[in-house]
Amino acid sequence: MVDRNGSRTNAATGAQAIPGAGAGAAAAGGGGGVGVGRPFNPWPAVVFVCLSVLALLFLAPTLGVILSSLKSTREIAFGALWTIPGSLYLENFREVLAHPSVKTYFVNTFLVTVPATAGSIGLGILAGYVFSKLPFRGSELLFLVVVSGMFFPPQIILIPLFRMFSGLGLLDTLWPMIIVHVAMGVPICTLLMRNFFATVPNALREAAIVEGANEWQVLTRVALPISLPALAVLATLQFTWIWNDFLWPLIFTQSDEKRTIMLGIVSLKGQYSVAWGIQGALSLVASLPTLVVFLFFQRYFIAGMTMGAIKG
Amino acid sequence: MNRHAVFWRVALLIAPLSVFGVFVVWPLLDSFYYSFTDWNGFNPNYRFIGFENFARVVTDRLFTNAILNTVVWMVLALLLPTLGGLALALLLDSYAVRGANVFKSIFYLPICLSAVVVGQIWVWIYQPDWGLLNSFVEAVTGEPETFAWLAKPQSALYSVIVAWSWQQMGLSMVIFLAGLTAVPADLTEAASIEGANGWQKTWHVVLPMLRPATVVVVALSVINSLKGFDILYIMTAGGPFHSSDTLAMFMYNESFKKYKMGYGSAISVILFLLTLAIIFLYFRQLRKLDEIHG
Repeated sequence: MVDRNGSRTNAATGAQAIPGAGAGAAAAGGGGGVGVGRPFNPWPAVVFVCLSVLALLFLAPTLGVILSSLKSTREIAFGALWTIPGSLYLENFREVLAHPSVKTYFVNTFLVTVPATAGSIGLGILAGYVFSKLPFRGSELLFLVVVSGMFFPPQIILIPLFRMFSGLGLLDTLWPMIIVHVAMGVPICTLLMRNFFATVPNALREAAIVEGANEWQVLTRVALPISLPALAVLATLQFTWIWNDFLWPLIFTQSDEKRTIMLGIVSLKGQYSVAWGIQGALSLVASLPTLVVFLFFQRYFIAGMTMGAIKG
Repeated sequence: MNRHAVFWRVALLIAPLSVFGVFVVWPLLDSFYYSFTDWNGFNPNYRFIGFENFARVVTDRLFTNAILNTVVWMVLALLLPTLGGLALALLLDSYAVRGANVFKSIFYLPICLSAVVVGQIWVWIYQPDWGLLNSFVEAVTGEPETFAWLAKPQSALYSVIVAWSWQQMGLSMVIFLAGLTAVPADLTEAASIEGANGWQKTWHVVLPMLRPATVVVVALSVINSLKGFDILYIMTAGGPFHSSDTLAMFMYNESFKKYKMGYGSAISVILFLLTLAIIFLYFRQLRKLDEIHG
């Protein structure tokens, strides 16, 4: 389902010759075959070794953080950062989890991420349905304008939004972040939902209409139930992006009580400026929700990134 | 039926379009408005000063510096992740590699980390005394090395770009992998029968088929390079001595550090026009590809 979805959306973003994003996963495993009955071919082994070395290099930075989070500041200062720790040292994590601010950051980030993810997807469903099933004169252009919203750097609306929310007295609350993430999520959600709904046969909709259903019923009872993969893609993407966001809390929050996790770990850095182990533990704890999402929903995540690869 | 259709279009579109209009389109227009004022962020009284902000911006040495850095960022952030991602995709696709999915996940993992965490990781790598990079240099040369990669104007920007590339490479790889599935197996088989070796097949058969994927990757890199902010903010904050200031960074500093909001708005307007030009080129390129490939 996702594969098919991938090819549809790519067609719409313009990358016509790129079929299903998810299909990449299947193809990579089974690329160019090795001839049967030929003499021993060393290349697969060479490629495997190359990839292993590269993978190790690629993992090194992440491994470094994990290792440092399991060590005391003393150990790190003595140059033992890159060795495997002999015994499990969990003080850093204990310290991080006991920090009252960290809890606040986590709660705030959830309070922003969950409603903003749901809100942007909800709006994307509505707009995507109209653009795919109820097109009208000029709807293509309108769609293009909405979708192009995801190309622009957020800096271009920073100042007016700051002024708007300060005028509304909402600075230093969670509202501006929720609202802006919903609004900035409309382009990608509309794009993916429109392209997914386009794969829903028109005959299904017409049959439902003939039976007396209205558009809302077609949307909620016919189109949405078969669009679960698209919703999963969007949920993983939006959750990760909003959770990881740094710019908007930087602009809209002032007090520690309103910070989200990514801004929070930056502001805690001063407190633990030489305590690299604690900083490492902080980074890991802050990344945990997105890592969990990545591990369990990797397929959707990759499909979504290839489809709506525009954001990032 | 027709009146119903109109009703449903309006009913379904009103929420998404008003949210998008009020919080994205309207602020954009507002940016144009402020770019003609001398607003300082607090004072409710501000004056209209016409094109003065723009006239000052183009003669501002910090602005030309930011433009140059953005171009350097754009070019390198285009080359490194694109070529790296292409190489990874070709390697993964070349033979039925064992554990291809595990490799892919490893190369892809950094993309789900936040810019803050990636920045922090690389600050440790570049740490002068015991960072991974200097430890490695020491191990190779046998001499103590304490070069402060992020604190030197000649290396700060490039060091951040390497960190950025590490994060972005997986994305290019995935797009190229998706493109590789479009290469028909009979085409490469036919080339083999004609006696082409692996390199010839890659160069003459596979790479030309990857053109659409390349257009997407290139456009993404260019557009994303205009957004380069978070990771810079964490690693260098544009320093030292503005040596790693990009346009987005410069805009932030002028507006939210120096509170020159009118001036900052002028920079955003320029950033907007630049992005618009790039998007326009991208869509034109896509249309050309359409015509070639049908």
